[in-house]
Amino acid sequence: MADTYTFDAKDLAEIKKITDKYPEKQAAVLPVLWYAQDKFGHTDSSVQQLVAGTLGVPEAHIRGVVSFYTQYYENPMGRNVLDVCTCLSCQVCGGYDMLHYIEEKLGIKAGETTPDGEFSLQSVECLGACGYAPMLQVTNDKFVNHLTREKVDKLIDDLRAGKQPEFESNPMPQHEKGS
Amino acid sequence: MPEIFIDNKRYEFEEPGKVLQFMLDNGLDLPFFCYHPSLSIPANCRQCMVKAGMPVYDREKGTFEIDENGERVIRFFPKLMTACSLDLADGMVVLTHHTDELVKQAQADNLEFILINHPLDCPICDQAGECPLQILTYKYGPEGSRFEHKKVHKPKAIQLGPRVILDAERCINCTRCVRFTDEISKTHQLTIISRGDKNYPMTAHGQIFDDPYSLNTVDICPVGALTSADFRFKARVWEMNQTPSIDISNGKGCSTWMWTRDNLVMRVTPRFNEAVNDHWMPDAGRLAYRRFNENRISKPQLRLDDAEQVRTSWNNAQLTLLEELEKISAGDILVIGSAHASVEDNYALRTFFSNKGVSEFRFLPHIIPGSGDGYLISDDQAPNTNGVRALGFQETDEKTLIKLIKSTKPKMIVILDDDLLGRTSLTPDHLSGAWTIVFGTNHDETTRTANLVVPVTTAAEHAASYVNVDGRIQRTVPAKETLYTNRRLNLEMSMGRLDHYGTKFDNWVTDANRVDCISAWEFFIRLEHDGDAPKWESSRQIMEEIAGLFSTFRQVSYDRMDEENGIQLKLEQDTEVKPA
Ligand code: SF4
Ligand code: FES
Repeated sequence: MADTYTFDAKDLAEIKKITDKYPEKQAAVLPVLWYAQDKFGHTDSSVQQLVAGTLGVPEAHIRGVVSFYTQYYENPMGRNVLDVCTCLSCQVCGGYDMLHYIEEKLGIKAGETTPDGEFSLQSVECLGACGYAPMLQVTNDKFVNHLTREKVDKLIDDLRAGKQPEFESNPMPQHEKGS
Repeated sequence: MPEIFIDNKRYEFEEPGKVLQFMLDNGLDLPFFCYHPSLSIPANCRQCMVKAGMPVYDREKGTFEIDENGERVIRFFPKLMTACSLDLADGMVVLTHHTDELVKQAQADNLEFILINHPLDCPICDQAGECPLQILTYKYGPEGSRFEHKKVHKPKAIQLGPRVILDAERCINCTRCVRFTDEISKTHQLTIISRGDKNYPMTAHGQIFDDPYSLNTVDICPVGALTSADFRFKARVWEMNQTPSIDISNGKGCSTWMWTRDNLVMRVTPRFNEAVNDHWMPDAGRLAYRRFNENRISKPQLRLDDAEQVRTSWNNAQLTLLEELEKISAGDILVIGSAHASVEDNYALRTFFSNKGVSEFRFLPHIIPGSGDGYLISDDQAPNTNGVRALGFQETDEKTLIKLIKSTKPKMIVILDDDLLGRTSLTPDHLSGAWTIVFGTNHDETTRTANLVVPVTTAAEHAASYVNVDGRIQRTVPAKETLYTNRRLNLEMSMGRLDHYGTKFDNWVTDANRVDCISAWEFFIRLEHDGDAPKWESSRQIMEEIAGLFSTFRQVSYDRMDEENGIQLKLEQDTEVKPA
């Protein structure tokens, strides 16, 4: 595969900052993969090759790491990745309804990317936010909780306009003052 | 001395170590998959669990606490421990499945768990019969499985590399193969990809598993997930004979097992030898088994008046040589020994011709500089360079040899098993002035040019010794019958199940594939019309004679080589052979 991805001098300086923190190069694999994914949007085989070459870590090992964590994208994804939880709590509270609504709205199935490269949709297992079910996560980052159709509509419009969702603080009932 | 109690029996230990290895060293049984004595210890299969505890020490009194029965009070670790990673400690108490129900249950449960997604395709799996998963399940596993759902399916028959095939469904993710490429062959070509019940070993994207040692992963894989592309579906392990031997495809001489069936070598696998190859051997040495089966010279071949070579009788071959010897004086004979042939055959060659008055004995080392890796692959392509040299054959390079032939114009050239025409710049023209006799195992350019070809045995067919690049003498054991050897009569040969229980009339037994050849030394004693012919009865006896004559081989005997897995010789000169 052609080596179409490269790190420039600034990237290499950043990566050096990361590797300097660890006694061994192998320990820097995770943060450097994050850095690469931020830059290129995914960590496919050519990116894996680039990271392996940059760090001097075996390429097979990098592949093992990338494929272990679902948060690293082994294939190019849309600009926004919607991970809709369909695990037990969300499922009970309508996780699949939300998933199907989004599928219809974007005209793609879970696991696919819109032709304009704007959105990828995935159905994922528990993200540890059962208290705010149903929910989804946007591109390995913010959680959008207590999903409703309206909330989904707004989210997608915002994302199209380049606006990321805000962090929502959701205190659990037992933690609310005075209860 | 520190002590440890295993199943209520006391053992002493000197060196620090792990409980599992200590138990194995003491002949105790414990099931395990991921542990391998030559690799790091990840403790990931969880099969070796034992109950372990330490005596309670009363610091104030400075003694061990004692219960009402006068026994030490033992405080057990809260959970079962993996014996492979548990350090031996003074006073430690270990309970295994023999004495503890919980351990027994845990071992069975773990096996049930490992087998949940295992395809159980033993009837079509190459590993069956030598599969730790199969064996341990028989011994320690549950009767059946409670798993009623569809098994997870994974890729099957993936060509990981040119020599290794992966069946991901059978893999139990012990990571032995990954650790092998990380720690032993250091190519780092394998990793485990994905996670949970979906994971299996794989290379990086677009890379192939072409490690020169890749087939070792097939040996250490405790299931049939990795199989040899070459050996796959060729034979069942219980149909084969297993004979200890050594690798003669390069100078290192790894200890091997030769697996035969129907008088064909089916595969070669490494045999543990701490002094040479540990548990490993290079792929090239395994695949070299073909030369034992294919393209063999069977029956002597004689060239009559520049015509084609024709097959002839042994009797005629002997008479022809004796006739030629009558005609030619000793000074006109050039004898070339071979680093590819054994110590015994080279010695026999030398003895016969020095009795004839010949005094110049030469050999051409077969070294390709840079082809070795400093580990188990040597630059030296021949198994016995040091052996021939120690017998007093003069090391000669090809230029010198060609010059020698041109200037002295020998009338007879004797070549012991070595394809000089194929591997050097020697041409048929150089030999055309002389009557040439070649002792050969396989048809090659050199045998095709000879006036007389004497078919000789390979390392798979004779008992003979070879001295490796490090000066270690090791021997082979006949694994494959020739037309003149018989497995039942030759006590040296191993017998497999089929040999023991089959008869010549069973349709699964075949007498085919026996080559009409003898050892070179046997050819010389058969020249009995000749008063000078030496009187040996076996290669064992030849080695005794050599041990008495040459200081390098002093005290070398077959028995010692067998007991000590080879003997380190003190070579008089530098063992490194310098190429010309
Ligand atoms: S392929 Fe074999 S050696 Fe490799 S991890 Fe799987 S079971 Fe272990
Ligand atoms: S042998 Fe695998 S955990 Fe001990």
